Amino acid sequence: MSVPPIPISAGEGPFDPSVRWFQHAVFYEVLIRGFFDSNNDGTGDLKGLREKLDYIEWLGIDCIWMLPFYPSPFRDSGYDISDFFNVHPDYGSIGDLVAFLEDAHSRGIRVIADLVMNHTSDQHPWFVESRSSRDNAKADWYVWNDDDQRWPDARVVFTDTERSNWTWDDNRQQYYWHRFFHHQPDLNYDNPEVADTMIDLVRFWLDLGFDGFRLDAVPYLYQRDGTAGEHLPETHAFIKRIRKQLEADYPGRILLAEANGWPSDVADYFGDGDECHLCFHFPLMPRLFMAVRREQRYPITEILAQTPVINDACQWAIFLRNHDELTLEMVTDEDRDYLIAEYAKDPRMKRHMGIGRRLAPLLDNDRGMTELLYALLLSLPGSPVIYYGDELMMGDNIYLGDRDSVRTPMQWSPDRNGGFSKADFAQLYLPPLMDPVYGFSAVNVEAQLRNQGSFLHWLRRMLTERRALPVMGVGEMEVLPCANPSVLAYMRSGEVADILTTTPSSHANPHAIIDVELDGRDWERTLVMARTVPAGNEGPGDEVVRRFQAVLCVHNLSRFAQPAELSLAKWAGTTPHEVLGRVPFPNVTEEPYTITLPPYGFLWFDLVDEDRRSTE
Amino acid sequence: MNLEREQTLRTLIEVWLSHRPVDEWHQKAPTEISLRRAEVLLPGRPGLLDLVADVNGRMAHLVVGMRSVGDEPHFLRAGDDVSLGLLEDDDGLAVCTDALRDAQLAPLALALLRRAAPRPGPVAVLRDDEHATVLDCGDRGDLWVFPWLSDRPHPAVDFLEALDGAGFNHVAAPLVRWTWEGRDLGFVQEPLADRSGGWALAMTSLRDLYSSGGRPEAAGGDFGPEAHALGTMTARMHLALDRAFDRRPASVSGWVDSAEAAIADADPELLAVPGMADLTKSLRSGDLHLPVIRTHGDFQLSRTSRTDQGWVVSDCLPGGVVPGMTAPNSRSPLADLADLLWSLHQASLEAAIERDPAGRLDLAPLGQAWETRNRRAVLNGYLNTPGIAGLTGPDRTVVRNLVAVFELVRSLRTT
Repeated sequence: MSVPPIPISAGEGPFDPSVRWFQHAVFYEVLIRGFFDSNNDGTGDLKGLREKLDYIEWLGIDCIWMLPFYPSPFRDSGYDISDFFNVHPDYGSIGDLVAFLEDAHSRGIRVIADLVMNHTSDQHPWFVESRSSRDNAKADWYVWNDDDQRWPDARVVFTDTERSNWTWDDNRQQYYWHRFFHHQPDLNYDNPEVADTMIDLVRFWLDLGFDGFRLDAVPYLYQRDGTAGEHLPETHAFIKRIRKQLEADYPGRILLAEANGWPSDVADYFGDGDECHLCFHFPLMPRLFMAVRREQRYPITEILAQTPVINDACQWAIFLRNHDELTLEMVTDEDRDYLIAEYAKDPRMKRHMGIGRRLAPLLDNDRGMTELLYALLLSLPGSPVIYYGDELMMGDNIYLGDRDSVRTPMQWSPDRNGGFSKADFAQLYLPPLMDPVYGFSAVNVEAQLRNQGSFLHWLRRMLTERRALPVMGVGEMEVLPCANPSVLAYMRSGEVADILTTTPSSHANPHAIIDVELDGRDWERTLVMARTVPAGNEGPGDEVVRRFQAVLCVHNLSRFAQPAELSLAKWAGTTPHEVLGRVPFPNVTEEPYTITLPPYGFLWFDLVDEDRRSTE
Repeated sequence: MNLEREQTLRTLIEVWLSHRPVDEWHQKAPTEISLRRAEVLLPGRPGLLDLVADVNGRMAHLVVGMRSVGDEPHFLRAGDDVSLGLLEDDDGLAVCTDALRDAQLAPLALALLRRAAPRPGPVAVLRDDEHATVLDCGDRGDLWVFPWLSDRPHPAVDFLEALDGAGFNHVAAPLVRWTWEGRDLGFVQEPLADRSGGWALAMTSLRDLYSSGGRPEAAGGDFGPEAHALGTMTARMHLALDRAFDRRPASVSGWVDSAEAAIADADPELLAVPGMADLTKSLRSGDLHLPVIRTHGDFQLSRTSRTDQGWVVSDCLPGGVVPGMTAPNSRSPLADLADLLWSLHQASLEAAIERDPAGRLDLAPLGQAWETRNRRAVLNGYLNTPGIAGLTGPDRTVVRNLVAVFELVRSLRTT
């Protein structure tokens, strides 16, 4: 895909706002309270997160997605907000937040915040006031009704704990509407004051330096009779309104929609390029797990076939796991039963309409399978989102309530509390993992840094290699026919720009080698990645050479070795160079190209036009 | 055509016949060969010549490839006997071969039929028997050639065109119909380049299970979800056939009578098996009538393929002509379903024999568990397809019993 040149505008901030950075960025989802505790009170905080920026930079992350950091009674891990315009004192202050943002930006790392627009905590002063009577200033800020019969088609999301979307309030003697927990009343967006306040909220955090937002639960903002209360036109109109703010005053900042639906429905959240920049591709995720379990590519290829082509200026966000349950809403009943039977054999692993397990336990800690899934994540169309701790193959604790099973402290070292905090064990917000397989003694950053063969090093290498292949982010995707159903092969291709020289204002700095000190050692973070960018993303004044890049990605979904015969006649005359080892493979001809793959193996090939290379 | 040339062509046909199973052409002496057609499809070298001849009362059809002397044929399969003889024509002496066994010449035939420029590429034999030779020519399409012709259009081609015309998406559409004097010589179907055969997928699943043990759903390559999708596709096929051809009501009692007659003919002791009498009695009660439609006629795993777009009916033979008949006839769609379920059983047996020829490993329980899971999945997929109850009737007990009877009859066939 050729990205058309984007007009450069004089934006503020450390980044070039003209660059569609999000289309080939790697995101890292961080739970602040679980990342690092700098003041040893048992809870992670912003200063702690800032202290670990060396690590995040070393890993090769482009953007941090921070889970909610607002004041909250923590009945839903901070998604129940009691003050939108502040930072929870456990995490620090707004000053700490600004310092963190500045530090992240100085390292070339962007930061987006979780924006929970749909609801508040029932402890929020707005709700406290609203429920106090029917005629106060905030009376109409929430959705109230005399009975609980309205909108019966709206499904209950948290089926484990909630029986209805309505809850009776004794104070006001009315029901209030909540699509999530009963202690999270929904805001009333039909009230212009609410909508305007949310716009103010957006501007507030963008002014402080955030690079955008993940719009939590955005499909549910509005309700209308005769509908299921999701994906309504009014919701899209509101998102457009937010987007206009960004375009006018905050270029280069992004909106990422959390809309769990079929790709054709979710694609509506891109609008005509005037709504969200990114949307999560929820249905793809469970199908990756189905595919490796069934050892067949069909679950993946079928959902890809159903995924519509999106606007050139937009991007899917793809992921393996996140802070929530592995949601199974977007699969058939039979497939849901199958996945639960396969991946949640203990009933305690089930959460609402999904499975509350981290990536490594879902895959039985199988390194090969984990590498395969990451290879898919990093090569399928979309910007990958990595959940904190999954880069270590961290485990989970299914005996913790709700989704806390996957929100245990980050494991930094084999020391006390996994190096997360020096607080007493009993003070910790959640206990760290201590079992012999996933416990912090066995799985931690320090140990994996020391072991060059660790998964952590492997993933870092993969992120580095991916940067030199911009087509993985923004290229065309062509699934290649293969008679072996256990093999998934596709071509990623498109126009890229090799940057030869740069100007001081360029975001790309191909000659910089940054030294990063981590764990007492110096690591080179060579910005090889900046030498090749998607065509159109070069900086003003950069001297570039544009060329066509084609990367063949072949994956074996089976636990047995598999052959694959691929028809690559379209690329006849090129030489496949395996990406990790740079070993040239036999030339591509008009005849079928045979590749053999080990169990759960994958190969990425950069198809090099040797004739062209030899004349350069 | 001069006599010498005609004699040469008859000789080629004789050699071709000698390569085919003798039952196909009722071998008897003398072999009467009467040439009916000798059409040059492609002059020059390599060239193609299409021959039709009356052989002992059957109409034979072959495509002859003509190569220059010294030009090596490209064998499709090792051990294939492709040479037919020598022929002299305006371009000189030609070495004649069976073009459908030559990887270079067969795609030429396909390209000619498609009126497209020939392109090199892989060729694989999908089928080669008395009913058809089917060649997978990759993204150029599938070439079907009928070695034995009838006096009317081939039922499989009619069947395929009818399905395509009725909006059935699970079939590779016909691109070119190759005819001569109202007879189908063959056809070209749109390519299904990423297909995996239904039989191969089932066998892979069984091999995994027999190797690893445990539950079928836990074994790699679990076939259950595919079986469900296969059932759904089968139901949609029947709904499309119902739209494309006439349906009429038929007596269930009549089916039971026919089934009992077939069973009595093959193995009368089966009629005395416990439960059999109750089964037939329950089906005869109530004077039930259900629709009969044009069915596939031999619907089994090997007639299906899985692609990235879903399941397809990849082989429409026999096009509704059930064994023992010469023309398509109507029957209950549940007979097709029974054929499919029977092929699941065949797969589990064959995989067990493959793994344990001596029968020492006691794989029967695993095979039964696999069958149970996948039979259930196929039936669920089939019976839960919207609209299918109009063909099967709403009574699930009747459906189950009918499927059981049809499957029993199917089991008695040796082919």
